[in-house]
Amino acid sequence: MSALFPVTVVGSWPRPKWLLDALRKKREGKISEEEFQAIADEAVLIAIKYQEDAGVDIISDGEQRRDNFYSFVADKIEGIELKTVAEFMDFAEDKSAFEALLRKLDVPAFAIRSPIVTNYIHKRIPLALNEAKFLKEHTNKKIKVALPGPYLLTRSSWIKGISDKYYKKKEDLAEEFSKILREEIILLRDAGVDFVQLDEPVLMEVLYGPELSVQTFMCAALTAKENPRDELSFAVDILNKTVQGITGVKLGVHICRGNWSKSEEAQLKGDYYPLLPFLLDMKVNQYVLEFATKRAGSIDVFKDYPTEKELGLGVVNPKTDEIERPEDIISLVKKALNYFRPEQIYLNPDCGFGTFAESPVNTPKISFLKLKSISKAASVLRKEYS
Amino acid sequence: MATVVNGIKLEDFNALHEELKRNAEFVSKIHKWNARIRWAGSGFNFTSYVRNHKFTISEPSDIGGADSGPSAHELILTALGACYSTGFIYNATKRNIQIKNFEVAIEGEIDDILVFFGLSDKGHPGYKKIVVKAYVEADADEKTIKEIWEAAVKGSPVGNTLQRGVEIVPQVSLVRK
Amino acid sequence: MGKVINGLDIESLSSLLDEARKNKELVQKISKWYARVRWAGTGFTFNSYVRNHSFTISEPSELGGPDKGPNAVEYVISALGACYLTGFILNATKRGVNIKNLEIALEGEIDNILVFLGISNEGHPGYRKVIAKAYVEADCDEKTLKEIWEETVRTSPVGNTLARNVEIVPQLSLIK
Repeated sequence: MSALFPVTVVGSWPRPKWLLDALRKKREGKISEEEFQAIADEAVLIAIKYQEDAGVDIISDGEQRRDNFYSFVADKIEGIELKTVAEFMDFAEDKSAFEALLRKLDVPAFAIRSPIVTNYIHKRIPLALNEAKFLKEHTNKKIKVALPGPYLLTRSSWIKGISDKYYKKKEDLAEEFSKILREEIILLRDAGVDFVQLDEPVLMEVLYGPELSVQTFMCAALTAKENPRDELSFAVDILNKTVQGITGVKLGVHICRGNWSKSEEAQLKGDYYPLLPFLLDMKVNQYVLEFATKRAGSIDVFKDYPTEKELGLGVVNPKTDEIERPEDIISLVKKALNYFRPEQIYLNPDCGFGTFAESPVNTPKISFLKLKSISKAASVLRKEYS
Repeated sequence: MATVVNGIKLEDFNALHEELKRNAEFVSKIHKWNARIRWAGSGFNFTSYVRNHKFTISEPSDIGGADSGPSAHELILTALGACYSTGFIYNATKRNIQIKNFEVAIEGEIDDILVFFGLSDKGHPGYKKIVVKAYVEADADEKTIKEIWEAAVKGSPVGNTLQRGVEIVPQVSLVRK
Repeated sequence: MGKVINGLDIESLSSLLDEARKNKELVQKISKWYARVRWAGTGFTFNSYVRNHSFTISEPSELGGPDKGPNAVEYVISALGACYLTGFILNATKRGVNIKNLEIALEGEIDNILVFLGISNEGHPGYRKVIAKAYVEADCDEKTLKEIWEETVRTSPVGNTLARNVEIVPQLSLIK
């Protein structure tokens, strides 16, 4: 039996400056795909080393090859183009949501990009198989690969006036993404990936976005008019269709409240309570959730929703500079133990440390110390509960 | 049935009024206003984004523009006229006065436009004087209409903005993509 | 047609400047500007007519309007932003600087909106402060960019209008 309280990550690791330069050069066509991948190999090796040294049990490749956790698919799927907000602002139904976002980020519309469906889509190359293979070859640890969830991809890339020429409704596009992701999960499993995590941060936006008028650009098509319950049901259905019947790999879903800047106020706020009935309907093994940040509310939301599923418990906040002490982590885990058995609990940060390549929320040094604190807490907990 | 004056339901009108008196958070929200303007990529053509609205701002052809919309300095006049109009309808409704027709004509005079072109530094390139003429048709006496107009002028956000020196904080940054 | 920078024909631009220097009548003409605003007859909706352009001014629904367009105070900051961008394009083109992208974000803060509503006498209902943040993508150095921007701010008609005290002459006539 493997040890209790496995330590893992949500995915991304801050990228070194030379990797960012290479990313930019690749985008401008100044270096080839092969040249970029060779540079990224080096960065992945560094990200692996940090995680191994920190005592992480299930590691990722730090998403070093991606510009962020979802728009990288534009390179892999035909029919999706990276477009700047300036290019699709005129089509966006909820322009004020984009305005709020641009203001938060202090960027002009011409400087941020989002993947937009501009044709019928089909997979050109696997989304993350090469990442997984390289990672597997360079570590003895268990490995985790994160993929953007089907709802996130649909919501972020379908824009009325552009995408509806090819997919009349966003539901039609969701079916296509679901097929592509399902194939990918199977490929990853067969390549020896232990844990596949689907990222669905937009689900929090469906609940808390419109009222706060703070939305992410992940939500191109989201308007306040949508009924949240219908949206969440749709998200659950499409996710279940994606993972239905897949065995031999741990499947998780990660839901957070934004990780695009260090500013806590810039992110969404609100607990998981209204989401839980939907979450429990998802046919995954694990929920990877934020609980270190106060914005996520209390873990007591599980009181009314007992579950046999696993919890990927967020125990450190990737955005803050202070290192959470092992005893703080332990007391958070003990609260979770009111609703989960020890063998149900995995420990991880609330989110990645470098979700967006150009605006990592922390330095490698602090990220490393935070992970180390988690593994210290895990070894204390293992002694107590084994 | 609800009483409607000037197309405004008095019930809603009064409720909003009460809300503004009590709800400090709401009041502070409506103290801040945003806009974003993008250059359309060629010549004097700009697109302004305000909440879910967008519109075009340009320059007349005799100033080298494509005249695809009003110019910035014309918008200022419009804003002043619209602000007085809003205040007028607001104050008339408050007094339960039905208005039949309301229209304002605005005329602004620039101090020295050559400063804008870099051809003079004598005066300044802003408006020195703006005349706003309002025409009202309503079943009310002159005195009441005059009171309403004065309240609109006195309470006008745009009027006050123009009559007082506003602190403008201009910032620029070079963005490399 | 001559050399074109930022979509502007350099020859026409310099002949326009020459004309402005010499032609008093043209200068007089472009020193006066007009607009007409009409109440649409119901609620907070107004139509503005400026030369051959017409557009709508309204209020957001939270302020009891039908939100058919931006409101007056939003037009003020839009006008400031557009004026800065106009000047920026003019001054960059004059220097032969090609602009790739230009965008400005504005935020205005009202001193005390309750004065407008007649429920307070403290302060005034106008803007007390407007922040105008320009983002430029161009092949030029920081120094040139700063020069263009400073000249633009200094010579902006709307900027000067807002920063100084304008004389407003309100007149009323009751039409029977």
